[in-house]
Amino acid sequence: MGDLMEPGRPPVLSPISRRTALGVLAGAGAALSGCGGSDNRTTLRWWSPQAAPDQLKSYKARIAAFEAANPGIRVVFEPTSDEGYPAQFAAAFAAKQLPNIVTHLPSFAAQNYYAEGLLEPVDDVINAIGATQFLDGTNDIYRTADNRHCALAIGNTAVDMLWYRKDVLQAAGIAAPPKTWDELRLACQKLQKPGLYGAALPYGMNAMTSLIFIGFIHRAGGQIFTPDLAVAIDSQPTYDALEYYRSMREFCPAGASNFSWGESLTAFVSGATATGIYGGRVLANVAAQNPAIADAISCTVYPTMSAANPAWTFNDFPCLMIPKGAPHLAETKAFAAALYQPEFYIQQLHAAPGHVLPVLKSVPADPRYQANTLIARYPAEIDLMTRTAATGHNLGQETAGHRPNLKANEIIASNAIAELVQRVVLNNEAPKPAVAATAKRLAELMRA
Amino acid sequence: MKKRPAWLASLITWPIVLLIAFPLLWMLITSVKPAAELFSTSPTLLPKAITFEHYARVLQDTPFLQYFANSMILATSTTVVVISISVLGAYSLVRFAYPGRETLASLVLFTYLLPSVVLISPLYLMLVSIGLANTLASLVIAYTSFALPYALWLLRSFMAGIPQDLESAAMVDGASRMGAFIDVVLPQALPGIISTALFTFILAWNEYLYALVLVNSDEARPLTTGVMTMLISAFNIEWSLLMAASVLMSVPLIIIFAGFQRHLTSGFGAGGVKG
Amino acid sequence: MLDAMSRERRDALLGLLLIAPTVLVLGAVIVYPLLSAIALSFQSVYTPTLEGHWVGLANYRELLGSGGFWAALLTTAIWTAGTLTLQIVIGVAMALLLHQNILFRSLARSLVLFPYFLSTVVAVLVWRWLFNDLYGIVNHGLMAAGIIDAPVNWLGAMPNAMFSIMVVGAWKFFPFVVIAVLARLQTIPESLYEAARIDGAGPISRFFDVTLPQLREVLTIVILLRTVWDFKEFDLIYLMTGGGPVNGTRTLPLIVYQQAFGLNQMGMAAAYAVSMMLVMLVFMLAYLQRARKAAA
Repeated sequence: MGDLMEPGRPPVLSPISRRTALGVLAGAGAALSGCGGSDNRTTLRWWSPQAAPDQLKSYKARIAAFEAANPGIRVVFEPTSDEGYPAQFAAAFAAKQLPNIVTHLPSFAAQNYYAEGLLEPVDDVINAIGATQFLDGTNDIYRTADNRHCALAIGNTAVDMLWYRKDVLQAAGIAAPPKTWDELRLACQKLQKPGLYGAALPYGMNAMTSLIFIGFIHRAGGQIFTPDLAVAIDSQPTYDALEYYRSMREFCPAGASNFSWGESLTAFVSGATATGIYGGRVLANVAAQNPAIADAISCTVYPTMSAANPAWTFNDFPCLMIPKGAPHLAETKAFAAALYQPEFYIQQLHAAPGHVLPVLKSVPADPRYQANTLIARYPAEIDLMTRTAATGHNLGQETAGHRPNLKANEIIASNAIAELVQRVVLNNEAPKPAVAATAKRLAELMRA
Repeated sequence: MKKRPAWLASLITWPIVLLIAFPLLWMLITSVKPAAELFSTSPTLLPKAITFEHYARVLQDTPFLQYFANSMILATSTTVVVISISVLGAYSLVRFAYPGRETLASLVLFTYLLPSVVLISPLYLMLVSIGLANTLASLVIAYTSFALPYALWLLRSFMAGIPQDLESAAMVDGASRMGAFIDVVLPQALPGIISTALFTFILAWNEYLYALVLVNSDEARPLTTGVMTMLISAFNIEWSLLMAASVLMSVPLIIIFAGFQRHLTSGFGAGGVKG
Repeated sequence: MLDAMSRERRDALLGLLLIAPTVLVLGAVIVYPLLSAIALSFQSVYTPTLEGHWVGLANYRELLGSGGFWAALLTTAIWTAGTLTLQIVIGVAMALLLHQNILFRSLARSLVLFPYFLSTVVAVLVWRWLFNDLYGIVNHGLMAAGIIDAPVNWLGAMPNAMFSIMVVGAWKFFPFVVIAVLARLQTIPESLYEAARIDGAGPISRFFDVTLPQLREVLTIVILLRTVWDFKEFDLIYLMTGGGPVNGTRTLPLIVYQQAFGLNQMGMAAAYAVSMMLVMLVFMLAYLQRARKAAA
């Protein structure tokens, strides 16, 4: 290597003079070794996958105020990703490079990690905020076998509301939004025409299909597991749900067999479908991307198989959790509680209006919360979603009586349920053997 | 050297190039469309209105410029390190004889065969134990090990195509082995070196999974993870911002590469060997 | 005689010295994780904690008997063969074209490189948008041109999905072939073409008799590298189709990722990874041997 730098020899890369090269290398060296200004303050690291620019702004405001009030503490926000967090966490836990506080991951992630001894119980934080400040029952899904809380709710999302176009339904002579499956199918039949589909249901090999279809099984009166977590998917409601889901395929766009969240949302927002199945994101997206239909949209609880079946709404329960083994536990808990201070909590909610719903009782009626264009414009929808989400469920706990399912994450990641849907609906396979195979797979996953 | 422009070739080539680059064109157009025009069910190529608000938001409301600087440093450092090491290694494989040479070359390629997913955790643990967690240096190290095998083999094949006559002539004239290397071999291998450098730069610029796991702080975060985690989440994709960010990520590279193309033209290699 | 021997030895030592940095870096950085991964494949490991216990060959037995492995192996082979062929053919063709003195050549070369340096995540999002049956321009364009009368489901039906990922894979990665071949084309001496022209050879036989033999060395490497990379390709297929419809595009890397971070079974993931490695190793050794014989 010395030969290359010998004076007198022409440098290999002629356009770059040696001096500039050395200068760049020196600067790069500084950047590479990560030395910036060093700090004597306690540093807290905060991870969240919800890091869109609007949300970042609200986090920065909260952090700035907290740091001003607590001069010895510095909080650093680090975005993580919904897709990539399992890999990041695995590495972080294994190398003991843990963040202090993690928000907006689903409840079943928290249950899973807690069961492996990776999380601190957060009862202190709940008590600091005041257990009665929360909407009733909203933290129940985080209760653990040892009667602590593995995490607490930071927001709710009513993920599978039925969104519909009032104008389209009216034009087809349908007065009220459908309440049962037959009504929904009938409505789709009436209003479908070239250029307008009835629904935007997902049939892709992905998590959305699994999660949505679990909801359909429940709305037929079934469940994936019994309260004691024995596999219960091989039952009549599942077949009913499959039959219905198959019959709805013709009312969804051709590309629905590869739909994930983004496509399904956009199908409704762009006006290509008359109904959609989604959370509150619809409001913000319609306002930005298709304001023409903004006055014609509304939502309701998703129809059930018959009037006798109770409603069931999916809420992934975005939560706040504290990894075990991260330093500065007391400061972390203080910051965690500070996130719920109404002034800043409302700012966070406003960054994703309608989609991240309040978990504190005082917020929905708070005039500061109402002072947001979307929330003010759609009060009925927001109120419905807030109430529905609070009583929502997910695979981590299918009903209030179910034991927490610590394998929910793995079951969704295995695509077992999405595969069932695809086999029966796209491949036209016979339901009975397909369901039996799925039941076997679920049993294996629970045992692993 | 052909001075006459090749008209026929231009006529065939440019439509194909435009077809290949069409997604870039489409990204550009989308990034200047207002959000209300994004998903029209009768898509139009030309926007009805042009706005630069998305670019403004990306540049002002996000740490985009910091991420950009990080990516530049990361990619450049990786390229410099990889080229330095692999040029020497390739020369060794091509002009020297020592026992185990072929085995060594094959072993180098062997490190490629394992999917990187299973290497992540052990690699991260290793980097943490030497105190490099969360730094760009850890990424440079990781990416260097990804790039070395192909850089070595690619450069080896380029150098193998260089006839030995000139080197031997130089050495007969009294030059040392390394002297002949620098004065004779390197200039002729320049197109190969440039192309290997391009690939390495791109690899370092685009790598996502390792950047996601190895670096978490914004100070050292490169563009890929920075832009993706900010603008893409499970329930929401900020399309307009993403298109603007992607154009900002791509266009500077196009300009840089267009500049380096000059070194890929003939004249460097072909002229050296006569008769 | 002593002089000659020590010069040879000095030469050999210099050779070893030159390759030492490569060996050192790879040894220090990759060898430990590589051996770790192989060791992991004999254990049952929970990913977030990396704690596990020894299970010997149980992972491999389950993998080989599962049926999923073999189906995925076939899918991976089909995907690799298809996209590789497209990459090589289109790559060489474009390199030949870009070697000519066309107008604005530098810009053309940069634009051709664009798919390769666009981030895969963004590329897939853009292509999914373009392929969309409701608002995507591919369907609209084809319908406007009268080639099809209804939108085609490019990603949600077989065999469309496999063709779509092959084409997008080719689009994304063929620039690698273009640049490598182009660089080699620059160093083919003009004199060889002159000699062929004097012998009366037309452009086609010039290509086969002069260009192709000169390209053989580079093409051998490029095909080997692209095969390994395409075989290992994860991001593109995962983001494009998720492995669907119904596992029609489910390649081995998707299973590895799912096992590692979806099902939290790092040991099983390592077993799949090692199996992949063995398949590629057999291919690589056979290929290199054939290449060496052909060159001799």
